[in-house]
Amino acid sequence: MKAKSHINKVFLGPPLLVLAILALVPTIAAIVISFQNKELGRRGTSFVGFDNYISLFSDRRFSNAMKVSLQWEAITVIGTMVVAVLVAILLFETTRGRTRAILSTLLIIPVLLPRVTAAFVWKFMFNPLLGVINYPIKELTGKPIEFLSNIETALLSVAVVDIWQWGLFFAVILLKLLETLPKEPFEAARIDKARTWEIYAYVAIPMLAAPLISLTFVKMVESLRSFDLIYVMTRGGPGIVTETLDMYAFSQGFVESGRISYASAMAVLMLLTTIITFTVIFKWVRKWQNA
Amino acid sequence: MGAQMAKRITLGTIAARLALVCVVIFAVFPVIWTLLNSFKEVVDIVTPTPKLFFSPTLENFQYVFERPSVRLGLTNSGIVVFSSVVIGALFGIPAAYALAHMKSRMGEEIKFFVLSLRFLPPVAVAIPLMSIYLDLGLYDTRLSLTLTYVLLTLSTIIWLSIPAFERVPTNIEEAARLDGYGPYAVFFLVALPVAGPSLFGAIIFSFILVWNEFLIALMLTTSEAKTLPIVASEFTLLGRNVPWGILNASVIVLSIPPLIFLGVLSGFLNRMFKK
Repeated sequence: MKAKSHINKVFLGPPLLVLAILALVPTIAAIVISFQNKELGRRGTSFVGFDNYISLFSDRRFSNAMKVSLQWEAITVIGTMVVAVLVAILLFETTRGRTRAILSTLLIIPVLLPRVTAAFVWKFMFNPLLGVINYPIKELTGKPIEFLSNIETALLSVAVVDIWQWGLFFAVILLKLLETLPKEPFEAARIDKARTWEIYAYVAIPMLAAPLISLTFVKMVESLRSFDLIYVMTRGGPGIVTETLDMYAFSQGFVESGRISYASAMAVLMLLTTIITFTVIFKWVRKWQNA
Repeated sequence: MGAQMAKRITLGTIAARLALVCVVIFAVFPVIWTLLNSFKEVVDIVTPTPKLFFSPTLENFQYVFERPSVRLGLTNSGIVVFSSVVIGALFGIPAAYALAHMKSRMGEEIKFFVLSLRFLPPVAVAIPLMSIYLDLGLYDTRLSLTLTYVLLTLSTIIWLSIPAFERVPTNIEEAARLDGYGPYAVFFLVALPVAGPSLFGAIIFSFILVWNEFLIALMLTTSEAKTLPIVASEFTLLGRNVPWGILNASVIVLSIPPLIFLGVLSGFLNRMFKK
């Protein structure tokens, strides 16, 4: 028994120490810097208290970024889950054996691609002059749709790429989960002459409620990482229509003005919001799943 | 009645088949199209009607690989990704083994801590680190980027390796213990080989995660330590008269390493979700 606790210390101690340092140092630094007036390329900083936070609350661009980030979360999470469920059912109903295995492998290609690649691939397809998507549109209506520079379509068009990557990947996971379900409830429902969609809506999906909620949670966390797609596809434009919080924090802290402290204040608010929200949701989900 | 029934089924089946074809096209067409474009000369890309048949050229790839920036990016990505994955695996796999055997509340709390690291928005990590590394003179170095990536690889490898060790049958480990194996021998000679394939999947997963990473690399490097995704994104942001073939080739080059492991990851998913 003693030997066992010894191995636990050796195996767990160093990694946890490394993780704690790597996670705490930037977090604490962000908090400290957010109370200063630090700027890139300027010497001398002093403490300014809550000034940065107060300015944030009257910053229109910040409230816009919050709105865009929430829209992004909603569109990509819902879109991903809907695509995943529909495609998983489609694959489960229409394929089997080798075909299914090959298709499953093909559907995880998009999520493996670097986001920079995914973003470029679609940016090029959306291109009004050369894009393949616009080719049939031009043939039919005579003029292309400017997917990425139109206020109405820009955010949705970027979200398509995210759903392309994650929706199809989650479809494969759901397909594997459907395969693990017992056959009897399906057969019973078929004998009762239930329609296909009824079998899924009332039998299969409720049986998979727990993993579906876990997947939704994972996607909520992963949707925070929208930066790469937006950076390559629209840079936050047109105007600030697709400027999410990370895009805005990046442009404040880095390119435009080097206002490290202002950007840090934003980072701290994002950090607090995400950690509190996700911790609460995670504990709630776990309690619900164990009940 | 029976005939009607059969007809309805065929109609439904046809619709389902069509939907399936659409899904597959949606999934792979963008990639195939990019691959085709990467072998086209500009004249074959800038056409009013998209061209499916053309005489392929390797010029785009040749140009990409001859760029000094691409070579530097490849070297940087290679070194940074390899070191952070190796460090992550060396620390992470033993940690996962210990956590898989801890049934206490303490174990649960540690697991949650490791998972919660994924809740950190990358920009919230990158902004303060940029300031710290600038002060320490470590900004734009492979060392500082590797260190930052260890946060990603280590937490991912721990999180994905715990289920791998949990699936090692306890009676094998018990039998080894009865044969006089010490706790370290049980880990190295029994648990590690049995969990091996799944652990490999977890390592590959973390490899792809950092190979594809963009935001942190963008903020922590400017020239010397730039990784390949940053170099490729600079290609894609070129101005008006863009060399489209070269852009397509550059993102294809960037995507080859993750796609090499497609088979490994597919197998990893199968194991993860098998009852």
